[in-house]
Amino acid sequence: MKLIEKYKDEITEILSHYPVKRSALIPLLYLAQQDEGYVSEAAMKEIAQMLRLTPPQVYETATFYTMLNLKPVGKFHLQICKSLMCALVGSDTVIGWVKTKLGIGPGETTADRLFTLSTVECLAACGTAPMMQVNEDYYERLTEEKFDRILADLKKYGTCSLKTGPFMWPEPANAVNHDA
Amino acid sequence: MSKHEPVLLKNMQRPGYTGSLQDYEQTGGYQALRKVIGKVPPAEVTTTVMKSGLRGRGGAGFPTGVKWGFLPKDYQGPRYLCCNADESEPGTFKDRQLIERDPHQILEGILLAAYAIGAESAYIYIRGEFVLGAKILESAIAEARIAGYIGANILGAGITVNVWVHRGAGAYICGEETALLESLEGKRGLPRVKPPFPATHGLYNKPTVVNNVETLANLPHIISRGSEWFSAIGSPPKSTGTRIFCVSGHVKRPGNYEVPMGVTFRELIYEEAGGMRSNKPLKAFIPGGASAPFLTPDSLDVKLDFESVAAAGSMLGSGGVTVMEEGTDMVWAALRLMEFFYHESCGKCSPCREGSSWLVQTMRRIVAKRGQMEDLETLVDLCKNIVGRTVCSFGDAEISPIMSTLKHWRPEYVRLIHEAEAANLIALKRPAGRP
Amino acid sequence: MATTTDTVRVTIDGIPISVPKGTLVIEAARRVGVMIPHFCYHPKLKPNANCRMCLVEVEKMPKLQTSCSTVATEGMSIRTATTVVHDAHKSVLEFILANHPLDCPVCDQGGKCDLQDFSHEYTATTSRFAETKRIFQKEYFSPLIETQMNRCVQCLRCVRYCDEVMDVKALAPVGRGTMTEIKSFAAHPLDCEFCGGCVQICPVGAITSRLSMYEYRPWMLKRADTVCTFCGDGCQLTVQTKDQTLIEVNSAQGTGRNNGDLCARGFFGFHATSHSGRITKPLIRRHGALVEVTWEDALLFVAEQITRLKLAHGPQAFGGLISGRCTNEELYLFQKFMRLTIGTNNLDSSARYGHVNGVQAMKRVQGTHRWTVTFEDIVQADVLLLVGTNITETNPITGLRVKEAVKKHDATLLTIEALQPAIGTISNITNLSQQHFSVAPAQFSAAVLGLLKAVVEETLIEGTLQQRASDYVLSISKAVQQLSWGELALSTGVSRESFVQMAASVAKGRRVVVLAGQTLLRSQGGYGICLNLLDLLLLTGKLTDSGCGFAPLAEENNDQGAVEMGAVAELLPNALDLTDQDARAQMARAWKEEVPLTPGATLLEMIDQAQTGTIKALFVVGENPVGSLPPQTRAKEALSKLEFLVCQELFLTETALLAHVVLPAASAMEKAGTVTNSEGHVQSVRPAINPVGDSRPDWEILSAFSVFLNAPLEYGDAKEILKEIRSVIPGYGSLGPTPIPPSVDRATVERYVTGGYRRDLATRYTLPARTGRPEGTVQLGLTQSLFHSGKLSTHSKGLLQIESSGFLQMGPLDAAKFGIATGDRVNLSNSRGECTTTVKVLDRVPEGLAWFPDHFAQEALQLFDCTIDPETKVPSYRTASVSVRKTT
Ligand SMILES: Cc1cc2nc3c(=O)[nH]c(=O)nc-3n(C[C@H](O)[C@H](O)[C@H](O)COP(=O)(O)O)c2cc1C
Ligand code: SF4
Ligand code: FES
Repeated sequence: MKLIEKYKDEITEILSHYPVKRSALIPLLYLAQQDEGYVSEAAMKEIAQMLRLTPPQVYETATFYTMLNLKPVGKFHLQICKSLMCALVGSDTVIGWVKTKLGIGPGETTADRLFTLSTVECLAACGTAPMMQVNEDYYERLTEEKFDRILADLKKYGTCSLKTGPFMWPEPANAVNHDA
Repeated sequence: MSKHEPVLLKNMQRPGYTGSLQDYEQTGGYQALRKVIGKVPPAEVTTTVMKSGLRGRGGAGFPTGVKWGFLPKDYQGPRYLCCNADESEPGTFKDRQLIERDPHQILEGILLAAYAIGAESAYIYIRGEFVLGAKILESAIAEARIAGYIGANILGAGITVNVWVHRGAGAYICGEETALLESLEGKRGLPRVKPPFPATHGLYNKPTVVNNVETLANLPHIISRGSEWFSAIGSPPKSTGTRIFCVSGHVKRPGNYEVPMGVTFRELIYEEAGGMRSNKPLKAFIPGGASAPFLTPDSLDVKLDFESVAAAGSMLGSGGVTVMEEGTDMVWAALRLMEFFYHESCGKCSPCREGSSWLVQTMRRIVAKRGQMEDLETLVDLCKNIVGRTVCSFGDAEISPIMSTLKHWRPEYVRLIHEAEAANLIALKRPAGRP
Repeated sequence: MATTTDTVRVTIDGIPISVPKGTLVIEAARRVGVMIPHFCYHPKLKPNANCRMCLVEVEKMPKLQTSCSTVATEGMSIRTATTVVHDAHKSVLEFILANHPLDCPVCDQGGKCDLQDFSHEYTATTSRFAETKRIFQKEYFSPLIETQMNRCVQCLRCVRYCDEVMDVKALAPVGRGTMTEIKSFAAHPLDCEFCGGCVQICPVGAITSRLSMYEYRPWMLKRADTVCTFCGDGCQLTVQTKDQTLIEVNSAQGTGRNNGDLCARGFFGFHATSHSGRITKPLIRRHGALVEVTWEDALLFVAEQITRLKLAHGPQAFGGLISGRCTNEELYLFQKFMRLTIGTNNLDSSARYGHVNGVQAMKRVQGTHRWTVTFEDIVQADVLLLVGTNITETNPITGLRVKEAVKKHDATLLTIEALQPAIGTISNITNLSQQHFSVAPAQFSAAVLGLLKAVVEETLIEGTLQQRASDYVLSISKAVQQLSWGELALSTGVSRESFVQMAASVAKGRRVVVLAGQTLLRSQGGYGICLNLLDLLLLTGKLTDSGCGFAPLAEENNDQGAVEMGAVAELLPNALDLTDQDARAQMARAWKEEVPLTPGATLLEMIDQAQTGTIKALFVVGENPVGSLPPQTRAKEALSKLEFLVCQELFLTETALLAHVVLPAASAMEKAGTVTNSEGHVQSVRPAINPVGDSRPDWEILSAFSVFLNAPLEYGDAKEILKEIRSVIPGYGSLGPTPIPPSVDRATVERYVTGGYRRDLATRYTLPARTGRPEGTVQLGLTQSLFHSGKLSTHSKGLLQIESSGFLQMGPLDAAKFGIATGDRVNLSNSRGECTTTVKVLDRVPEGLAWFPDHFAQEALQLFDCTIDPETKVPSYRTASVSVRKTT
């Protein structure tokens, strides 16, 4: 089904934010990605038409940003930060866990199409490293034990209560520890 | 506990503070807006900010009031305010805390800035990965809209400001203000050639101000308590106010610490962040995010203000302080950051685009013990050929890790190369044809 | 010291120079002869400063500055030759070369490559780059354009050109960082206007033409600067040849009326003339078949036949038709041959298909038969009104000037065209317009009347005109008052408010240019609409202002020349009326012989006379009435009745197949002469190769006829004819960079407003009939495609790769109604006939209309009826109501 039919209200709302249509491009690409799990060619063409752009104009923008997937990814997109700050406290080890537990390296997807691993650059959680983002959720201060639980929960429930946020580190003296 | 009185992080340290509109109002929120909107002329707000000495918290440290003053006075058409919430500089995670824990503080800052510069639309450009942050901001905006702080005729003062959240989609360079504008216009996030500057030709070619989250969050306090109060904090006259420093790496208590500018790195690292995580001594630290040159323990007593850090050969940048203990491989550390820069170079200009790929490959070779002595010379040369010749200051930043580690820890590079040479010699001595 | 406000003084390497304010440092340097190396800079594009090659030192600035983006300011001191600058250039070059494959030996750009040249200059010795080079997978890009992305220096000139100049936006820089690669959409091959701009503007060998791939090294090529002979824009071309073979065509920035820009026809269409189907030997019909003979035999035969028929039936039994693609010299000689050697005014050219409507209107109202504006005026205009022209496809380069005016100078663009604003792979001028009336061609007249009514009612009439010509103003006022807004809205779908708004824009403009295209010129009543548009300019006081004017766009490259050479029945050279005593006298003096008095028959009149047997012999030079006119005109039958039909042709056209004699003509690539473009600019055509086979330039053939007829019109070469042209049309062909446009003749305007307007006022101020559209039908229109020009281009292998056949363009609403999708076959029919074709659904086609390209319209032509303008005799057969049925 066409995006415009399926998400009419959302699209109207998005367009209303901007005086120039093209500004709605990234929000609409997100909408498409949310719909199909990735940004398809058909979606790019439809968005082009909506915004009065040519398909190449949509394509050039879509390919610039790492969060827009032009190909389908697994159900759970594990994005592990490998920047220096995380690396100092063990992010490479986390990548190693993925390899041993799921058998995939960066850029790969498990055969059951459940997990895709990407290594990413700093996600602004350096104080709570190592960390990973799974789809939209952050998981911080990873340990192997937590990691196992996250994978298990994701498989079972599609989500995991260990996800973190809103941000609070270091915790105030009297606050509860979020990652308990 | 810190001995310093926090300003920006104060609310959220109260027990039970959720960052809701109600909580924020209870702690005096939106009083600054009430104080000035429709009552104090916008120009006066700008003057107050100018006098406070507030400098941008996004990296460049440009005086905020002065920046606002660059907008054309007599321009009739629309003007825009953009809140830079792209926070992607490795080692930096302060804006995320401000956004997720106290969104209204930022919104009030945005409203004040928009009022001062006459913008009717403000966009919060937030990095795409901050999904939670974007949701929190969206609901805060909804609350504020209902309460009459955002939208048409704010608080009956006849002023309109609309605030929209706009998510990026994964590109560090979109933190650079002109790349941010391009991205917000739905294009590839390539920095623009300046001049013209956003102040005259910004979003949709209209006068625009881009300010960092933390910069904006300071505004309600400055307006409420006055410029003198603010300019007395920190190390006046040039570095006033507090700053949130993001401490990461090998410390006991990594996290965000808000201290007045001018405290020393020693205090920040050893008192606030609890000191080194193990018994190993500190070997190196980055004082201001991935773009800032590495410093050695010799600089621990340098004050955390713009000028002092610059004098020590680095920069305060985004406030990300990364600490490394003895035993950390500095060539490896430089390579990690170089890989970041290579990954994030937008590709617009040749020295950065080609230079980053060249640098990263050479570094990888050295780390993999396939380097040669000439490589070190080449590295330095390439860095010198990038700096000052690029479209945006990403080019200046990307050379920092290599240049500074080469400066302080050259022997570590040399050792790797010697090992490479030794391995080569063995390979050469092996009889031909046999593995 | 006082300085003038519009210039600044700077010094470059110590050389002082004054330059206009706003000049970029790189341009200022060029003026003093200092060439600063660069890749991404191009004078046509907005500075992007991405390659960083053009760094210079500017006094008082700490960093080196990019001279391509730095504006020269008063007192600036710039240094380009210091060691610092040299080292910077060298280092940037080193970066750019790092990932470059250095495959110069097999690169078509070799020898004309900026990267090679700069490398040579900065003597980059061995590269220090010891890493693995980036490699892009080779991908198929397009049948005509080749990309080698490993050679790309990422200057984005191609992408920027495609967007900023062409407004096509077909190229996308994909990915980021070093992996940025120029592509089209995803893995799809390029789909665009194929203007060749990206090939031309790429400073290296990353984008090249596949038509000439691996065929040459630049230094092996011979070049000839000539003019494109496809449309009326008259672009300058440089034709590159190797051993008499056409290799490639390009156009240098800064040259010609096109300033180096081209369209697909110019860039990829040059093979039309080297098609294997060219006629290479004279042919004579013997026992029903055309057989090869020698020139001698052919000429003798022609001379015998002419003599015989002239003796038997007199000169009025002859007629002649010539193509507007011929040179001025040929057109001139043709009409002289017809008028003197044969002794008849029965002659016409392809200008009759539409251009004559515009010319006659201009002659009648403003005296001059030429534009009073130039391409430069279009660029400088603040208001542009385009009526009945899909300008991108018919006159692409004039279209670029319109785009430039809008995109760079914020001109107000107003459009009246059937076209709907919609994004497509071919740029659509209505996307840029501020106000667009999507009106069916049959109602263009109504739309113009709406504007006139708004001008009158809103008192937008220029003040003094009221006094100077009160009768004229009053008559028009009265005439438009007869029209009701309701009726106008029914005809055009445009409201009173919109008309008022557009009229006000026109009236407000200081430099207003009205462009009228073939859709208008060829429509029924086209002449009247042209007059009404001139009325619009006159009433709003624009007609006589400098920078303002009416500009009809010629379809064929030399339609304007045809008119000026007198190659139409009613006009003598210099477009003087045949009936004009002074003109006749002048011609008689020049030719030392009287011009025949009997008025001549025009195109369709000649066909009628052939039908009735009044005309017995016809000379056809490059024209193809049988192929171009709808069967309703019975052109084929008429021409078959001729006793003698001579065709001078490149190919065996439908008309040539009926001929008694077919003579091989040289193409424009093979001859010299001049042509006159839409705006009246005269330019030289120069031979790039020798005539194919035994073909000869048309003027030579005509001259040979006359010799064989013992009435020699003898000229040594085309230049001698031009000399004679100049003696009858003073100042003709003063080839220069910018023509000074002729101005409006005030006496003529005076005559027009004091009575001259009257004779057809009632007719042209009447609303055209509104034809209903029965269920299941569409209004079929014949249009021109960007990828073809007449039928000539259908012989070009390059253009055929882009568009090889005709297809019906239909809008999405109608397509849905008929249950048709792109690629489906449909049957079109009406009482006149039927034909079957394939459909392409395009957003730009409005509901109720469907278009078919006339280049492939052979079958579709039978659906059209033909009407003739009573005054200008222009035939109109551009629209027909047809039923649509999906077939398999
Ligand atoms: C490569 C690069 C990345 C940047 N990233 C950010 C960022 O993530 N957040 C930010 O606030 N400023 C960032 N900046 C700084 C902005 O360009 C700009 O100076 C800042 O948003 C201005 O706000 P301020 O004056 O309030 O600091 C970056 C600059 C560069 C050159
Ligand atoms: S310096 Fe790097 S990031 Fe900045 S414009 Fe140039 S290529 Fe892009
Ligand atoms: S020509 Fe100036 S940066 Fe490319």
